[in-house]
Amino acid sequence: MRICTRFFCSFAVVSTAWLSPLALSSGFPTDFAVDPTLVNMTLEPKVVVNSGKLEWVPFSRDLTPWLSLSHEDKRSAARPRQVKLVKPLQGDPARGRELAMARDKGYCIVCHQLPGEQWAGTVGALLLNFKKHHYPNELVFQQIFDSRVFNPISVMPPYGTFGILNEQEIRDLVAYLQSLD
Amino acid sequence: MKLALLLLLAVTAQSATSAPAPYREFDPMEDYLPHVKGDMSLSGSYKNWKDPANLDWRMAGNPDENWKLNWKFMDPPFNASVHGGHFAADRGEEVFSELNRKAGRMGKFATCLGARKGNLKGLRTQFPMYRKDLKHVAGLEEVIEHCAAKEGRELQNGSYDNSAVSLFVASQSAGMPIKINVTSGGPLKSAYERGRKVFHARAGRLNLACSSCHTYQIGLHLRGTVVTSPYGDVAHYPVYRTRYQLQPLHLRFVECNLATRTQPLKPGSQAYTDIEVFLTGLTNGYPVSVPSERD
Repeated sequence: MRICTRFFCSFAVVSTAWLSPLALSSGFPTDFAVDPTLVNMTLEPKVVVNSGKLEWVPFSRDLTPWLSLSHEDKRSAARPRQVKLVKPLQGDPARGRELAMARDKGYCIVCHQLPGEQWAGTVGALLLNFKKHHYPNELVFQQIFDSRVFNPISVMPPYGTFGILNEQEIRDLVAYLQSLD
Repeated sequence: MKLALLLLLAVTAQSATSAPAPYREFDPMEDYLPHVKGDMSLSGSYKNWKDPANLDWRMAGNPDENWKLNWKFMDPPFNASVHGGHFAADRGEEVFSELNRKAGRMGKFATCLGARKGNLKGLRTQFPMYRKDLKHVAGLEEVIEHCAAKEGRELQNGSYDNSAVSLFVASQSAGMPIKINVTSGGPLKSAYERGRKVFHARAGRLNLACSSCHTYQIGLHLRGTVVTSPYGDVAHYPVYRTRYQLQPLHLRFVECNLATRTQPLKPGSQAYTDIEVFLTGLTNGYPVSVPSERD
């Protein structure tokens, strides 16, 4: 476990440096649904009625950088990472709320209840009136960055370690949560 | 001296080949009863859907109760409406008949699938199974692709026609309980154990395993959907889906992978087949329920 002194050490905005170079050295696993000639290499199936062929079309995102379920995928996952928030927070609550609702960013609403939103998830902790808990910003920042530091079997995605959110985006989310009266 | 040199060489070779194992994370590995009634100690919803006569229709459509029926109200005999699954079964029968009578070799395709004397009754309940010709455990759709190729016809695993044949074959076992042996050793037990492990393996951009939701969050909301039990789910595949037409189990896995931002695999891949074996073990004792539909 290490403590960083400046932001989060040399953490890159979207870091995939922890991946072993599987894709570079030996090609993709043979069971990957991919087209290496595309920018977004991941494919999704398209079933065509009354046909013996399964069509594959480009998926909207490239998912190859992350670990898959393939037995041939011998890469390592990113280990839990402890970080230290450098003050001041300088987060934008309005931007944080947008991130909490954005499908490709935080999308916190899938699991957590947030004010003003219907059809919220119930898997995660209630985030209504979050401010009343008086959690330190550092703790909230770490929870979003990589909650496995607190709970090794946490199902909350490690947003910082896995490169889903960058540092400023996590700061914005912390500011949003701390604004919820 | 010579012996010492040999020992040194052996130790060096050993250390050179033993690279550290990749770091992977797993959810806590649960034990599961390989029978549908095992759900009673997981979600407890089995009591609501095990008996068709006692299916409480008032629960269907209520977001907080719907999941307790495990969508069984959409399976036959509960759902009597005509839907795309019925048309697919008809198409499957047509393709099956063409293959089965091809070149005057009546019944050869059915025999290749594993039917005794051309009788398909009960065949679906035995899949996935170990296939000597393929030298591995395979699901019904993979075997259909293999046997169709022997008859000179391409029926890719995951394609509509492949799934339609699978659905037609399954319909000949409708109402018969799934029965695969995953406890007596051999390749099927190995596949079941691998499948259990894959089910708990974290993967993808969100670092989630199948079990992250379908074991530990059953009955809870993920946005507008409610997580259901892994028990008893396999018996209604291939299933008619309005969005995906006809969906075999492996394409359901692809859909799950994409939803959790994980690189999908091709239908018939070993990892998917292992999960299929695992989930089929958890469906043992539940009747084959086709043609079925989902939203």
